[in-house]
Amino acid sequence: MDQLLQQLINALSLGGIYAMLALGLAIVFSIVGLINFAHGDIMTFGGYGIFLSMVFGFPPIAALCIGLGAAVVMALAMERTAFRVMRGADVISLLITSFAVSEILKVLFQNGISARPVPISFPAAWSGSYQIGGMTIGVAPTASILVTIVSLGCLTFVLRRLAIGMAMRAAAEDFDMLRMLGVRANRVVAAAFAISGLLAGIAAVIWTAQRGSVDPMMGFFPVLKAFIATVLGGLGSLGGAVLGGFVVGTLEVLTQAFLPDALAPYRDAIVLSAVIAVLLVRPDGLLPARSGARS
Amino acid sequence: MADAALFAHPARLRAANWLRTFAALGVLIGTVAFLTLVFGRTGERIAVLMCVNVSAVVALAVFCGNTGIVSFGHGAFMALGAYLSGILTMPAGLQRSALPELPGWLAGHELSVLGALPFVLLAGAGFALLTGSAISRLVGASAAIATLGLLIIVHSIAVSAREFTRGSQTFYGVPRITDLTFVLMAAIVFVILARVYRESRWGLFVRAVRDDEDAATALGIAPRRARLAAWTLSGTLAVVAGALYGHILGAFSPASFYLGLVFAHVVMMIVGGMSSVGGAVVGVIAVTILQNTVRNLEGGITLGGVTLPEVFGLTTVSLGVAILLVIWFRPQGLVGGFELGPGAGAGLLRRIASRATEPPAPRPVSTETLKARGLSRAFAGVKAVTDVSFDVPAGRITGLIGPNGAGKSTLVNLITCQYDADTGSAEIEGVDLTGLPRHRIIDHRVARSFQNLRLFSGLTAFENVLVAALAAGNSRQRANAIALRELEAFDLGSIAAIRADNLPYGARKRLEIARALAQDPAILLLDEPAAGMNPAETDDLADRLIRIREDRRIGILLIDHDLRFVNRLCSHIVVMNRGEKIAEGTPEEVRGNPQVIEAYIGRGRVARAADAQTPQDQALAN
Repeated sequence: MDQLLQQLINALSLGGIYAMLALGLAIVFSIVGLINFAHGDIMTFGGYGIFLSMVFGFPPIAALCIGLGAAVVMALAMERTAFRVMRGADVISLLITSFAVSEILKVLFQNGISARPVPISFPAAWSGSYQIGGMTIGVAPTASILVTIVSLGCLTFVLRRLAIGMAMRAAAEDFDMLRMLGVRANRVVAAAFAISGLLAGIAAVIWTAQRGSVDPMMGFFPVLKAFIATVLGGLGSLGGAVLGGFVVGTLEVLTQAFLPDALAPYRDAIVLSAVIAVLLVRPDGLLPARSGARS
Repeated sequence: MADAALFAHPARLRAANWLRTFAALGVLIGTVAFLTLVFGRTGERIAVLMCVNVSAVVALAVFCGNTGIVSFGHGAFMALGAYLSGILTMPAGLQRSALPELPGWLAGHELSVLGALPFVLLAGAGFALLTGSAISRLVGASAAIATLGLLIIVHSIAVSAREFTRGSQTFYGVPRITDLTFVLMAAIVFVILARVYRESRWGLFVRAVRDDEDAATALGIAPRRARLAAWTLSGTLAVVAGALYGHILGAFSPASFYLGLVFAHVVMMIVGGMSSVGGAVVGVIAVTILQNTVRNLEGGITLGGVTLPEVFGLTTVSLGVAILLVIWFRPQGLVGGFELGPGAGAGLLRRIASRATEPPAPRPVSTETLKARGLSRAFAGVKAVTDVSFDVPAGRITGLIGPNGAGKSTLVNLITCQYDADTGSAEIEGVDLTGLPRHRIIDHRVARSFQNLRLFSGLTAFENVLVAALAAGNSRQRANAIALRELEAFDLGSIAAIRADNLPYGARKRLEIARALAQDPAILLLDEPAAGMNPAETDDLADRLIRIREDRRIGILLIDHDLRFVNRLCSHIVVMNRGEKIAEGTPEEVRGNPQVIEAYIGRGRVARAADAQTPQDQALAN
């Protein structure tokens, strides 16, 4: 029982990170049709932001905020330099563009900072644990679950209550119509990138806090999982992305905990195969995005 | 173009296709010759790698170019080929030390590279079929990400399955190939296979699916099967290319086939232009030259007294920049969507005049009748179609009219299984069409056109019609002749070699009807064929439809808003309003029906219409 609860917390914590990354991908995809391969590099850049500000002697909390800011700035810069000229291009061209941006950024990280992992030392208390009813629970997973809940809650508020959020949801349904109504396209797209960058930054904070180091590929693997999560949830569907993130995270934790040792190295292969099996039954994902296309 | 020229079109197309293949091969062989003659041994090494890359990228483009889906998963096939061929050809002694735990059935075969090829091919085809059965269900970005998933799966298996692959350690002892002629031959074979597939029945089908999946399905093409065929051929070729790559390297690890390689190959494909085989060849050559130039700079270089520092990963950056520049400034790639060399319309081919076979007479139509019975469909409570019944017999043009939103297009979509009917049936010759898979409708000789144009934009006018004739089950020769027959009937002969997306609107509209007729239907459903046409074009279309009905005795269901057009063509009219059939009969009967007048003119005016019947008639007739 205890072990199950423990694993549940791990699953929520990991799933939360995937969910935030997947949501960031989905927001951008639903508005501009871009599957952002470079999303992982936004997260990595956030991690480097934390690392550098701590090197320069900022206190840990300030460093985290700088990391968040760095991720947002990177997302906006990416939109401005690489993707704005591509507005309206087809999905494949956009995908390839982001692929190229991602490769270039990785080389820049390797040359500019280091090809190897650089350590980040947070206060010891952050990686501690506490006891509840005989159960040992890590501080970091707890914090990550709380942060995930708060972030998703705030985002729901923004998307449902604020004008820019409603504009973004409308843009996801029909961007051209929204522009005809006089809403500034650039502002909506920039807001989408900013939010996706912020979510990637939060993911970077939680990720580095749990692992204590940053390397050029840090964001890459979690974002690969987030890709899978967005497709599993239904490409372009925001709710689907969150659901997909949690499903992928849970599957990963479960296979880690309960897979026999001989099969352990095949964990990623098994999780991905399971997801593809789901797609065979539901090619449009678990919560498909709506479309009003007529024949 | 005169008729004689039109009827030579298939022969010219064939000649143009071979010329294009030779153009691509000429560029490749020329570059190889240049590299070896100018740069000697270094050039030969570069040329060997380039030829293997041509094989790999052509294999990749067989899927990506024809389906429009970018695959990141071909690294998985290459890894399979490299490891399998490596294990089968490795000297036994070396194998015992390198792979001590290799299962007995795989160990100690010591085959030659060509001897291992059949096994590599077989394993590749099996693996491609297995993975394709999943990936062919997905389209667009979802499919691209699924292929990325495949790459990650295979990579993690390659790292974990130590007894076969030595895990992430270097896999060594693979016999080296350094023979340029051998790899050049392989590249040539790959290019020819890719070209033959592209122009084949299945290549045309999958390109039609790429351009418009719904329209292709309505023609009787099963989209998944078409994509699966492309994936399987492409994957099998990629496995062979991977085996070649392994033999070139001699020693490799799972990382050799991971994102770095995939990125390079995708860049080569996109830079050249992914929708043509020539593009793949040109892309590989351009990127090879770029890579080798940059690689010389990577180790640091002194330029005019300034020493540039060593930059790790400069080749990757240059690839990234190359692809960005190409996508920004030439989104179709250096070669573009066209193949290298002349098209079928080129003056070069004017002297080819061998006539295609005599156009076959349309399949006879006798008494087939499409019977719609009690068709209903609701969308989330909105009753789009409620209990509609009518007949469309052969030899008659039946009109279906009604105000916007009356449910006319929905009705056509129900008959052709675009939507599932809630209740009711659409029978022809005793077979109920509702509930059939969409691509089986044409087996019962029911064809349709679409309200919004749905042509295969990447195919020429001729190919658009040809695909329809092929999908109806005709042989290539017969399909050619049928396509010419329809192009002639709709006065499209002079634009046979032009891509559909470059045609003017009126021609596109006619082409869509020609495409449907190429399937030799007994019943043809035309959804607003005259929409957007000017009066002269509408009259012209009416003449052609009347002639077709007289010549072929087929039944036509004609949906349109233009009452003058409908009245001229139809001897029987069905009127719908708000999802229900409100009247049916001859044009005169329908015109006098008060419900019809109300639906079209509105209630207030009906009373006045009762006083002045004649102007009312006038209004409807116009």
